[in-house]
Amino acid sequence: MNILVLVKQVPDTSDVKFDERGVMIREGVQSILNVFDQFALEEALRLRQKYGGEVSVMTLAPEQAKTAVQKCLALGADKAYHISDKAFGGSDTLATSYALSLAIRKAGNFDLIMAGNQATDGDTGHIGPQVAEWLGIPHVSYVEQVLSIENGRATVKSILEDGYRIVDVELPALFACLPPTNFEYTNPSMSGIIKAKSKPYTWWKADDIDGDKSKFGLNGSPTRVLKMYPPPKRSRGTVFTGDYHDAVKKIIEALMEKKVIE
Amino acid sequence: MLDFTFTEEQEMIRESVREFAQKKIAPIALEMEKTRQIPEDIIKGMADLGLIAPTVSPEYGGQGFDAVTAGIIAEELARADVTGSIPVFYLVQASWGHIFDKYGTEEAKREVLPNVTKGKWFLGIATTESDAGSDVAGTRTTIRKEGDHYVVNGEKMYISGVREAYTRGGGHITIAKQNPELGTRGMTLFYLPLQSKGIIPTYVDDLGREGISTGGFTIDNVVIPKHYIIGEENRGFYIVHEGYEYARGLISVICAGAGLQSLERGKKYLKERKAFGQPLAKFEALQFRLAEHYTKLSFLRLGAYWALWTYDQEAKGKATRFEVSKAIAMAKMFASEWSNAAIDEVMQWQGAFGYTRECPDQAAWRAIRSFAWAEGSKEIMRVIVSRELLGKEYISYK
Repeated sequence: MNILVLVKQVPDTSDVKFDERGVMIREGVQSILNVFDQFALEEALRLRQKYGGEVSVMTLAPEQAKTAVQKCLALGADKAYHISDKAFGGSDTLATSYALSLAIRKAGNFDLIMAGNQATDGDTGHIGPQVAEWLGIPHVSYVEQVLSIENGRATVKSILEDGYRIVDVELPALFACLPPTNFEYTNPSMSGIIKAKSKPYTWWKADDIDGDKSKFGLNGSPTRVLKMYPPPKRSRGTVFTGDYHDAVKKIIEALMEKKVIE
Repeated sequence: MLDFTFTEEQEMIRESVREFAQKKIAPIALEMEKTRQIPEDIIKGMADLGLIAPTVSPEYGGQGFDAVTAGIIAEELARADVTGSIPVFYLVQASWGHIFDKYGTEEAKREVLPNVTKGKWFLGIATTESDAGSDVAGTRTTIRKEGDHYVVNGEKMYISGVREAYTRGGGHITIAKQNPELGTRGMTLFYLPLQSKGIIPTYVDDLGREGISTGGFTIDNVVIPKHYIIGEENRGFYIVHEGYEYARGLISVICAGAGLQSLERGKKYLKERKAFGQPLAKFEALQFRLAEHYTKLSFLRLGAYWALWTYDQEAKGKATRFEVSKAIAMAKMFASEWSNAAIDEVMQWQGAFGYTRECPDQAAWRAIRSFAWAEGSKEIMRVIVSRELLGKEYISYK
């Protein structure tokens, strides 16, 4: 079972601030491995343990994203592909997924491609499905668990707004993964960190992958970000203070007044 | 060339330890004051990550980390555990695991070290006696050779991790006089399993770091095999100081980390708490105190890592034993005092709350206070530095 996991380095969104133009202040903000991708990787490592094979990771990002990729290797991935070139600057999700699909073809045959359902910075959820479309393979989004793999097919649990569905899909396929609530992320072990150093790490530039170069970077991106703005600040709301029983009474009165309850 | 950066690998280690420590240790730290033990799942988590005695070689279950890397782990644990219990659990095993690894026999290393790194056993150090602390030469415990084994008699006191080794398994690297007439040249170091026949433990009620026990034990005709000798016979006094230097270096980083983390909490409090219509952070008197403590502790942190780096240089043949002793003693000399002063200040900012058991800083204050003597008192640090500056002929006690 050869599995590829697509990963991205993102700013740590637990402490994000915006300037007066609405642009995120990146200074002093730590970069981390997108948590959705880490979940996809951990699920891939679980599958490797069960079915054997190899887990590779791939990113298309500037050089500094190496720390996120190294973390994947420290967590147990066997090898890494890092595609980095100025030619990819300004890529939207279409151009990114196109370049990734070319790199995937070059990297070899994978039975399964996994990715985070979305990244915590852009939050588009585009990359996984788009890569699958470029490669012409089926995909399932919101995958919480790969239940089984048998005879070239996989059964997965995909989360819906009001429940879940079990999907049976032919491999190779791409799964965009969504961690369950309270998923306990693994910390890389000391020995994992040491071993990561000696694992294969392949760097590719734009010239290393075959494809239509006019579809790379800004030129290949049909979408443009015209303006970014943070969501309007919400007011603090009404705070009911005092004794527990009094406060509950006041809340009920307020809700009745607004006709939320009768 | 001066370069104050850690390696990429060390940064990853810091990040992983920080995530683990802040997520798993920080929330339960104060509970250890009541339960008086480190929760089993924390010990297991540390072992799984490779954080117990990571200074031990990989063939015995360790990571083969150098002193600087061991320091990074110590700092992150100190920043998370305000009670100082886990930092002590860590530093003792990291330091003495290193010494066991370096000077222990192959047979003993195979028997003991994997159990230590897996978190099953505890490995401590027992040199202190009721009448012999920093003055190791005053040791009264004796060891004598009888055929193919040794017999030990005596008593040790104020030893970290007695309950841990007595109940979980493991033991303490112990020093005793083999040839009293030879003074410091007649002392031998050995591994003493605390579950040996003839060991009777006692416990003391420490002021802080309650998650790990402090106590002592009497040693009544305890028989130990030959392969438990650490280093050569009669070389114990010298080897034990090497271990203490390792531990002192880690303690210095721990003091810096705990103090800086306390200042982080203090900073947050100064911004949030209002008095006389404005946040406390607007008062210049408090700003200056914050700036002073932060500066001192940042220099302490730098000095501590420099001292550990010097230790690593010795292993590469680039520093002498005496240079290491001096660097480590300089780092530890003010470590506890400066850290305690900063934490004390943060308690002061918090008013009456700072004096309650709910305030994490009071636990940190009590823990850090112990390091003014633990593994070598602040006075001994001055003795070492002045000895290196003036020469041995000016040692005051000779």
